[in-house]
Amino acid sequence: MREFLRQFGMLRYMNWSMCLATLILLVLGILFVYSSCYISEDLPVRTLYKRQIMWAVAGIVSYVLFAATDYRSLRRWSWSIYAGCLLLLVAVLLVGTVREGAQRWLTILNFDIQPSEPAKLALVIILARRLGLPGMYYGEWRRLGGVLLLFLIPVLLILKQPDLGTAMVFAPITFIMMYAAGVPLRALGLLAAIALVAVGCLLGAVFLPEKLGASPETQARLTAMTGLSDYQRNRILVFVRANEDPLGAGWNKLQSEIAVGSGGLWGKGFRNGTQNILGFLPRTVAPNDFIYSVIAEETGFVGSMGVFTLFGMVFWGGMRAAMSARDKLGRLLCVGIVSLLFCHVFINIAMTVGLMPITGLPLPLLSYGGSFMMVVMSALGLMQSVHIRARRAIY
Amino acid sequence: MELNSPLDGEHLRLRIAVVLMFVALLFLAGALWRVQVVQGSEHAERLDKQSIRRVRLPGLRGVIRDRHGELLADNRPGYCMALYVEELRQAGRWDRTIEEIERVINELSGVMGVRPDVSRDDVRTHIRRRLPLPFLAWRDLPPEALARWAESGVSFPGVDIHIEPLREYPRGTLAAHVLGYVGRARLEHDEDDPYHFYMPDMQGKFGVERSFDARLAGVAGGRLIRVDASGFKYNEVAEREPQMGEDIRLTLDARLQELAETLLVGQRGAVVMVDARNGDVLVMASSPTFNPTSIRSRTALQALNQDPDKPLFNRAISGQYPPGSTFKPLVAIAALENGGITADTHYPCPGYFALGGVRFRCWRRSGHGSIGMRKSIEQSCNTYFCQLGLKCGYDRIYHMADAFGFGHRTGVALNFEARGLLPNDSWKRATLKDGWRSGDTCNVSIGQGAILATPLQMALFAAAIGNSGQVYTPRIVTDPWEEGNLAQKMAWSASTMDTVRGGMFDVIEAETGTGRRARIAGVSMGGKTGTAEYGPREARKKHAWMIAFAPFEATRYGVAIILEDADSGGRDAAPRIAKLMACAFNSTPVFPDPAAEAAPPAVAAGTVTL
Repeated sequence: MREFLRQFGMLRYMNWSMCLATLILLVLGILFVYSSCYISEDLPVRTLYKRQIMWAVAGIVSYVLFAATDYRSLRRWSWSIYAGCLLLLVAVLLVGTVREGAQRWLTILNFDIQPSEPAKLALVIILARRLGLPGMYYGEWRRLGGVLLLFLIPVLLILKQPDLGTAMVFAPITFIMMYAAGVPLRALGLLAAIALVAVGCLLGAVFLPEKLGASPETQARLTAMTGLSDYQRNRILVFVRANEDPLGAGWNKLQSEIAVGSGGLWGKGFRNGTQNILGFLPRTVAPNDFIYSVIAEETGFVGSMGVFTLFGMVFWGGMRAAMSARDKLGRLLCVGIVSLLFCHVFINIAMTVGLMPITGLPLPLLSYGGSFMMVVMSALGLMQSVHIRARRAIY
Repeated sequence: MELNSPLDGEHLRLRIAVVLMFVALLFLAGALWRVQVVQGSEHAERLDKQSIRRVRLPGLRGVIRDRHGELLADNRPGYCMALYVEELRQAGRWDRTIEEIERVINELSGVMGVRPDVSRDDVRTHIRRRLPLPFLAWRDLPPEALARWAESGVSFPGVDIHIEPLREYPRGTLAAHVLGYVGRARLEHDEDDPYHFYMPDMQGKFGVERSFDARLAGVAGGRLIRVDASGFKYNEVAEREPQMGEDIRLTLDARLQELAETLLVGQRGAVVMVDARNGDVLVMASSPTFNPTSIRSRTALQALNQDPDKPLFNRAISGQYPPGSTFKPLVAIAALENGGITADTHYPCPGYFALGGVRFRCWRRSGHGSIGMRKSIEQSCNTYFCQLGLKCGYDRIYHMADAFGFGHRTGVALNFEARGLLPNDSWKRATLKDGWRSGDTCNVSIGQGAILATPLQMALFAAAIGNSGQVYTPRIVTDPWEEGNLAQKMAWSASTMDTVRGGMFDVIEAETGTGRRARIAGVSMGGKTGTAEYGPREARKKHAWMIAFAPFEATRYGVAIILEDADSGGRDAAPRIAKLMACAFNSTPVFPDPAAEAAPPAVAAGTVTL
């Protein structure tokens, strides 16, 4: 009990600017979830912001608990957490709820959870543990192979759901953590080259046959070989051929761009985003994956940059914690968590301005969604835990 | 701080990572600057007014033609006044938007001089059920109203002319029951599905329009148009081409169909003519009829539904009637095939047949004397067929009729086809709580009692006798690849066919035949008349039937006609068969029109069964 109180007392050493940025982002998230839904005729949608408040509160509790806990206890728990997440990923394939053709949700005690979200954090933790083993040298392929295996198992399970977007985000996280852990550049370069060739082959199989004038059957066969579903292929096609079928598959992309673009410098004002109010931006995605379009439309370029600054403060705080961490585990944890958040922020925003295909990755702290909110807040709490216990005089 | 931490060497990599992240964020910020500020300022003045309008381009429904290409169902443009709800959307509750829409409608009404024909509830329903579609405040506007709107110079933001295809049936009531009609498609409310905006407005509700809806329906396309505050279109963003539905060619022959319908004018009844060689339905007429073009509103449909004569009811396939004497050829076939009876079997006819205490009367009170098979078909002798049925046994009759298809749907590609009814012991026990008796056998042997058949079944039956036992699935839409779909090849022996066909030849071609008024010049035919009683005996209500096939050799056509509440098959149905066949063979009826003829001799009366 005393020990517990002592740990709690140490919360005063946390990075308060990072904490403040997090809180502001949480509040913004609630406000704009409200703004994107208040017009809806459906009561459950109109009151979505109330659920977001509930999740934010649960997130803050989780944040405090993780910050108070010594992250070094993860040395003992990392494997159990990883194994637990893998079990959930297997379970979702067996008994998960199917929505829109993908089996991504587990219903536990009336809550729909998406096990691929905690799996992201579990991967960061297990990689930090593995790569952070004292005295470990990763110049050997055998050692590196073990790390890659840890990365591949959850990715394959998530691809099976199928959820290409979520699976894809695992790769840069792993890569950045390996880089930060000191894996030789030679090995990293080789891995990056392999990944590029693989992606190249995939895109080639989707696009080249048509360009080369192959018959539809050949095209269909090659597409089947890539293992992409029709709708995944469509999303890539929509991205590459910018204005293909803007009334159908390209609708979200076009509307999101119009929403962001019409925001201008100063925006249309809170609750005044016409794209959103008129329902051009489909209401099922506005509060989740396209929340940034709503923010950008209503607060303009100025607001967009404000959100950037807040995220920048969080990333910077995380990287500072990484640099000052007292051990490699802590450092890699912070790097992993920052890269996790960074990938989501970058991909999501790039998607809303049409620089990336629509992948369905949520925006941390802002998008509506319980599982991801809890994961992000726990991760940020962990980062604070590293910061609190960093190399500085602690008495 | 421990400056000599072993971790320090790797800080270089972290610093590089931080720099790279910063660069990536800068890149994104640049992209946002481009989209939001550089491109955004292009319409800086119009920013808060601009709006994108989704315009539907309807996919045309395929047309329907007869077998020779004559147009039976077509489309014409109807001009509508469309209100784009998203442009009229008021912040806050939908009620405010509804008020705004009402205001715009009233203003438009004043400008065009046309009364509004939608209510507040219509607007509300539209918003609830079909929000992504423009609200059509007026449909099929007259050109004067459009001209007044165009010349008024008043600007109506969010209002535009929308062209909607309207279904039209250029031949009016011709083949109405086969063509059917269309109505508005039901849309499920799902505002986030961009595709449902492109579902067809029209949906086939009856007839071929309904059963071939999937082929006829087109796929609507759309266009995105940027409009400014005054409703001026200044930029087309994108287009999706509408797709036209498939055209359909019916097996009907419009010329014969038209004649058949005139034969039924002022009379409840039906005519069906099939091609005996492949099952093509050449004529399917039902009377009274309706004009499918007029079914545009719910009230028009309701009026038709409430008409006591049931004009929407396709009597040719949904009407079930006791077949009367036209069923006798089947009893004859069953008896000859395996009932231990030959063409020479004679039974006495004293004018009635006594079974227990009940007398089954023959239509000829004086009786036919000792009569054989062929003559009894020609004369339609009830006494003979009662005895024949009892001798043969009901099981054999039932199995023959069942194998042919009585009591089963023919499978014609139209909805609401009736099965008819072929009774048997288990049916009688289930419905009447009574076992099968000899009296029931006698009744069915002369096509009375519980047995029911549709005119289409009877036409197929005529065709099958004409071509010695080939039963085709009737075809209503031509498909060029198939030779006809043989549903059943009845194993009817040549000697049986000789006898039964011979009897049916005599019905028309013999001087004393009951159906001789069907005779036409130059083509010999076979047929059978029937007069079926229905309802309580005292009411003496009768349907007149006739079935026929022609030519007698190498048969091409099988025909059935039924006239509800007529006197007799020979007098009422046979002359109509003659006119129809004469038209089909470019011939003339041998007998002049009975209307022109003086009172016909009593002997010429058709069969009065039971």
